[in-house]
Amino acid sequence: MIKKFFKSRGVRKFLRSKMAIASLGVISVYALVALVVFAGAISLDDVTNRVGVERMPGFLQQPSRELRLQAVDLRLKAMESVARRGADSTPEEQRRMLNELSLFERQVPDEMLFDEYSTLVVSARQAYDNTGDAQLEVEDLADELVAISEELHEMKSEGASAEDISALKDEQKQMQVELASIMPELDSLIDIVEAKMLQIQPIPKGMSGTIYKLRLSLGTDAKGASIAMKGLYSVKIAFQIGLIVSLISVFLGSFLGAAAAFYGGWVDNAVMWLVSTLSSIPYLVLMAVLIVAFRGTIFDDAQKPGLALVPVYTAFCLTFWIGTCRVVRGEVMKIKELEYVQAATSIGFGKSYILIKHIIPNTLHIMFINFSLGFIGAIKSEVILSFLGLGVKGQPSWGIMIAHAKDDVSSFFFWEVLTATLFMFGLVLAFNIVSDALQDAFDPKHV
Amino acid sequence: MTDTKTTTRQEPILKIRNLTTRFRTDRGIVTAIDDVSFDVYPGETLGIVGESGCGKTVTSKSIMRLLPEHITIIDEKSSMEFEGINLATTSNGQMRKVRGNRIAMIFQEPMTSLNPVFTVGWQIDEALKYHTKLSRSQRRERSIEMLRLVEIPNPEQRINEYPHQLSGGMRQRVMIAMALCCEPDVLIADEPTTALDVTIQAQILDLMNGLKEKLDTAIILITHDLGVVAQVCDRVQVMYAGRVIESASVYDLFHTPRHPYTKALLESIPKAAKTRVKSARLPAIEGIVPSLWELPKGCRFQDRCSIATDHCIELEPDLITDENNRSVRCHTPITVNNAPVRENA
Ligand SMILES: Nc1ncnc2c1ncn2[C@@H]1O[C@H](COP(=O)(O)OP(=O)(O)O)[C@@H](O)[C@H]1O
Ligand SMILES: [Mg+2]
Repeated sequence: MIKKFFKSRGVRKFLRSKMAIASLGVISVYALVALVVFAGAISLDDVTNRVGVERMPGFLQQPSRELRLQAVDLRLKAMESVARRGADSTPEEQRRMLNELSLFERQVPDEMLFDEYSTLVVSARQAYDNTGDAQLEVEDLADELVAISEELHEMKSEGASAEDISALKDEQKQMQVELASIMPELDSLIDIVEAKMLQIQPIPKGMSGTIYKLRLSLGTDAKGASIAMKGLYSVKIAFQIGLIVSLISVFLGSFLGAAAAFYGGWVDNAVMWLVSTLSSIPYLVLMAVLIVAFRGTIFDDAQKPGLALVPVYTAFCLTFWIGTCRVVRGEVMKIKELEYVQAATSIGFGKSYILIKHIIPNTLHIMFINFSLGFIGAIKSEVILSFLGLGVKGQPSWGIMIAHAKDDVSSFFFWEVLTATLFMFGLVLAFNIVSDALQDAFDPKHV
Repeated sequence: MTDTKTTTRQEPILKIRNLTTRFRTDRGIVTAIDDVSFDVYPGETLGIVGESGCGKTVTSKSIMRLLPEHITIIDEKSSMEFEGINLATTSNGQMRKVRGNRIAMIFQEPMTSLNPVFTVGWQIDEALKYHTKLSRSQRRERSIEMLRLVEIPNPEQRINEYPHQLSGGMRQRVMIAMALCCEPDVLIADEPTTALDVTIQAQILDLMNGLKEKLDTAIILITHDLGVVAQVCDRVQVMYAGRVIESASVYDLFHTPRHPYTKALLESIPKAAKTRVKSARLPAIEGIVPSLWELPKGCRFQDRCSIATDHCIELEPDLITDENNRSVRCHTPITVNNAPVRENA
């Protein structure tokens, strides 16, 4: 049957579509990521622990001077605290403290002695203090520039003489030049501090260095955790929800739909009653009800993120099977009148056997399409639910990322939203193309 | 031809009496076939002919109980006796044992009568698995043997092919192989050749003729084509608007039709060119079959009958069987004045 499936006209037609093949490739990459995450390559610690200062921009954007200084200052304070507390401790204690300072792959080297470390911290602090004058000067100049431009504005609106205005403008220009000359100076001073920090906690060479750079590649979120890792980790959540929901709902939908169409009578009435009842409840409402229902049980515990997804699965499965059920029911209505079904009856097979062995295999293509559609639906709905705070708990997901980043966006920090959106966009687009191609290839109207 | 057989005939294997099938529809209950009675004897071929819509398929599906259960009513007075059980009233479980094993059926549309997702071999094997206790390899052997019997070239290879890889004629052969693989006593063939082109049609009919002799299966051959009947049937019964209107041996029916409808039907088949003036048009039967919803009070053929009388409009004739074992449902049947001398077959 499988062999026949791959030989069939529909599959050949599907494989002829280049877009569909490319999309299948994209989906497999996502699936691979999901598998790798599932195997434990990215742990919850990776996505919650700090990897740097908050809201660090990703690879395209240079961090601002303020952010660099702030980042350095933050690290220095932590380092100084360790230097102070560790001064009188045993070497083991000292080592433990140094290790606690680590930013994932970036650690104080094993061979570095504590004294050496303390000296380096002191000199780094000095280098930081050296930036102080330049910092102050930049700040003053910036303040003055602001004041001047305000004054200029005022003078213009009051109609002051042209000479006064041009004098002020000259002054402004001069200050700008001055500021421009101090800036590189400040930058090079910051570079020095950063170099010292790198000496204390170097970025390792090779693989782990690359991983560290990957962590920072898409910036950090409002808690200083890696956005890239969150985005990747969420691929797993998306697949988990997508697969579980679409598998269960396609199975349920096609089985109930086929049974309803095939047996007719009260089976059909019962299934259609369920369909119309459930389809009149939006899954958001259902979700809210389920959350209340599950409150206080093990399914409502952010400490057990896996179990906390059960209400989400339930709500999606309860609503998603309906679409499949309707389509399969229609198809089986058609198939059951075909002669091969009558022929099977005339050979003597029982009804249930015919349904399972002869009819359901003929709805396989519908299941494929619905699986794909269900997958997309589940991913998109997860985002909406999580954004509303009803979905995923205790672990990141694209919806959670977008929800958390909504304040950042107003201050023009877009990395988290962008990452979540693009990751989701890629997967959903690929699945959309695949399901379109499936539909084209298997829909008898298109042959 | 068959008459000699008729007199020395054994007991009928299938005895249909007063079969009346009604459907529940949106417009109410409609009687699709009314009071149909006939016998099928072992090893003979019974033809059922009639225009489309006259109830041939409903008759055959009633026997097999293939009609949709919740809309079909088989009248209580109907009985279909097969080996001591009444197919009209027997349990579904009993019916499943009869189907395929004892009475098999093949259908009109070869394009859809095989399941597209399974190989030909799988489908024959499935039937064998259900009805026999043969082992896997024995079943495979038997499947190949059956395909060979229905004259499919290279059965060892064909067995692994899917229906879409076969032509219409091939599929019909496979259907026949599937139907016959459990050696049923009765094979119902509902227009088995209608969807095929003429040469293939002749091959399939030849095949069925040959198989009947080899396997000694009784065949009920349903068709709207009297040519087909002449080729393969022993006896024939003509149906019109849900009623049997005439039944006779093929020889008698073709030589001395007694019902005006049968006569008109026979006149409308093309004959060999020399017996007919060139360019003469075939006489078609005027008028249309009455709708099952508006059946006339009297004879159902009255509107199209050239010799209908007031009596025909008032009262529906009964099916009268004469001493020669011919039945006709007509008040004024065409008389057999110079009864043809029967050559012995
Ligand atoms: N499921 C059904 N519901 C209602 N009427 C039906 C149904 N099946 C067949 N009929 C009616 O029964 C009559 C006989 O049909 P059928 O036996 O299929 O004709 P044919 O002789 O061409 O095989 C037709 O008039 C048809 O309309
Ligand atoms: Mg028919």
